[in-house]
Amino acid sequence: MKRHLTAIAAWAAVGAAGAALPAAAADPGPTVRMIQERGSLLCTGHNGSYLGFAEVDDRGNWSGFDIEMCRALATAILGSPDKLQIIPVSWAQRFPALQSGDIDVIIKVTGWTMSRDTELGLQYSLPYFFGPTTIMARTEIGARTPEDLAGGVFCINAGTSIERIVADYMGARGIPYEALNFEKPEELRAALYAGRCDALAGFGPFLAATRFNAPDPEAFTILDAVLALEPEGIAVREGDDGFVDVINWMISALLMAEEYGITRDNVDEVRANPPSASVERLLGVSPGVGERLGLSDDWAYRMIKAVGNYGEIYDRTIGEGSVYRLPRGKNHLWSNGGMLYPLVLD
Amino acid sequence: MLRMLRTRRSRGIIIQAALLAAVGALVAGMVLTARENLIAQGIATGFGFLDRSTGWPINVALIEVSDRSSYARMLLAGLLNTLHVGITGLAGATLVGLVVGMMRVSGNLVLEILGTAFVETFRNVPLILQVIFWYAVLTHLPPPRGAIDLLGVGFLSNRGLMLPMPDWSGTDLLLIAAALVAAVIAARRLGGERPLRAAALALAAVAALAVLLLFLGHDPARPLISLPQRQGLRFVGGLTVKPEFAALLTGIVIFGGAYVGEIVRAGFLSVDRGVLQAARALGLSGWQVYRLVHIPLAVRAMLPALANQYVWLMKATTLGVAIGYPDYFMVVSTAINQTGQTIELLLLLMGGFLVINYTLGGAMNWLNARLAIRGRN
Repeated sequence: MKRHLTAIAAWAAVGAAGAALPAAAADPGPTVRMIQERGSLLCTGHNGSYLGFAEVDDRGNWSGFDIEMCRALATAILGSPDKLQIIPVSWAQRFPALQSGDIDVIIKVTGWTMSRDTELGLQYSLPYFFGPTTIMARTEIGARTPEDLAGGVFCINAGTSIERIVADYMGARGIPYEALNFEKPEELRAALYAGRCDALAGFGPFLAATRFNAPDPEAFTILDAVLALEPEGIAVREGDDGFVDVINWMISALLMAEEYGITRDNVDEVRANPPSASVERLLGVSPGVGERLGLSDDWAYRMIKAVGNYGEIYDRTIGEGSVYRLPRGKNHLWSNGGMLYPLVLD
Repeated sequence: MLRMLRTRRSRGIIIQAALLAAVGALVAGMVLTARENLIAQGIATGFGFLDRSTGWPINVALIEVSDRSSYARMLLAGLLNTLHVGITGLAGATLVGLVVGMMRVSGNLVLEILGTAFVETFRNVPLILQVIFWYAVLTHLPPPRGAIDLLGVGFLSNRGLMLPMPDWSGTDLLLIAAALVAAVIAARRLGGERPLRAAALALAAVAALAVLLLFLGHDPARPLISLPQRQGLRFVGGLTVKPEFAALLTGIVIFGGAYVGEIVRAGFLSVDRGVLQAARALGLSGWQVYRLVHIPLAVRAMLPALANQYVWLMKATTLGVAIGYPDYFMVVSTAINQTGQTIELLLLLMGGFLVINYTLGGAMNWLNARLAIRGRN
């Protein structure tokens, strides 16, 4: 009898341990733990305003597409979009600032390039935005293609991948041009509006914002040509896989919410009445979406409640609902002709 | 051992050696820590990137560079741009400063008021504001299509000042130099009682020779002077002074001129009045006193302060980054962005300016030593 009891006890112990195993939350990695201990996420802003993506007003309030992504991440990890500190950094500072720990994450239209990936100790998330590099010319020139701008002066943001993209594109086609590079967007805009350059090369969103802010927006025309499409990822310090997982699933959740039509306004209704098993999992009605990342199970629900789905963020900051009215283009979901897709939540 | 500590001399040596060792250990520790951290963060270190091609061009360079040039060459182009605007700026600032300084000590009320107004205005406004102001002025000139025509040979637009430029090959230059040497020799030989006539004759003969030589040696397909012409969106031919260069140069010349003006004024005022009175008492005329006594003594007083000012102005060229002039600082800054090799490039940046300014300071010291009045230190 005693032997039986021992055996039962042993089996019970094994069973309990087995039951406890899946319940033990996954380790979210050192960065997420650090953010949780600190109680706020340190995310990238800009030195000045990068219109549409990171804008700061006269009271120090930040807005823009990248800022909304920071808010989404803060909500996913800490449960509130306000547990966020935006640290203004220049383009050049963003990598050293990340490595020195001044910021936790770079969400700053940062292209995924080989040198950054391999030599700077960065790890990228899935692309959350596809930045088309294109050209905006002075309307009076009447240019329709880059070839029409032969010999012209191109204003370009110094130190960005645009410099290389333009050099490659124009070089391959033998179109002579002169690159005038500016470190700060304010000086770039001033030079462009004054007519120092014939064209501005850059990201589509940046061009749209620059045109919107021009004294005479009609004076500038964005060409159809796409010089390059740059996948923009969220960059973190190398070697923290848990954090990369959190970010990838944050992006995925935003896209999935758009796919299922879950918005900031109807998320409570959908959660009360989930139409499918996937939605149940996404909103934490059935467990799994949180514990496997080391987060709470309602992180995606809180995030959508706070910032909305991907489409809502886009419309609010750079799309139809904003002053810039930038078409979604490649940044639509795959089902709408774009290149964005959520991962599979099983 | 203990006895060694007792003498002041050996005690001093030991303390200095200890200090030196401590500083050395500190530096070595910093270098090792930085190295370790970089390796831990997976950041590539070293200067290997210097051989890689940049992939981005700059629009102003004294040597030929393109997006296919290596980082080393691009950095050299940036350094030359810095030297170009720096040296031109120093020369200009010195000239402006001399004029303004002399105006302020001229004794003429109108000149003094003008000089004072110039100094007080431009010395008290930050240089970066002045540079941005001049740049705004230059970029608001008419566009190339409505360029201001300068007598048909030059143009002024917001793309810069386009001027005709002599387009001489090496052979042409050699011939012209030969002709000039010949002219000098001829003038010396024929000089003497009627130097003027002889000189005129020699010049005419040599000019004829030069023209002949030029036509013989010059490629007829190449014009001697290249004129700027509008072609599509740009101007081709001639010499272009870009607005970025012009704005930075103007800023440095005027701001530096105001400071140099004060140094010049101080130099003139520092000359002991007794010396000047003595010179006049010896029977020298006013101009002679000025040229032979006042200026030489004033220049000696100015030199140390000028050296300081020159080094300062050279560093001010880094403001080019604000208006898109690809000086050394801007090229380094862009390279840091493109490669992420922050520490290596900052070392190169500091090294570059150290060499430039150390050379400049050394040259000024040498000049100072040469000009110093013997027997006085």
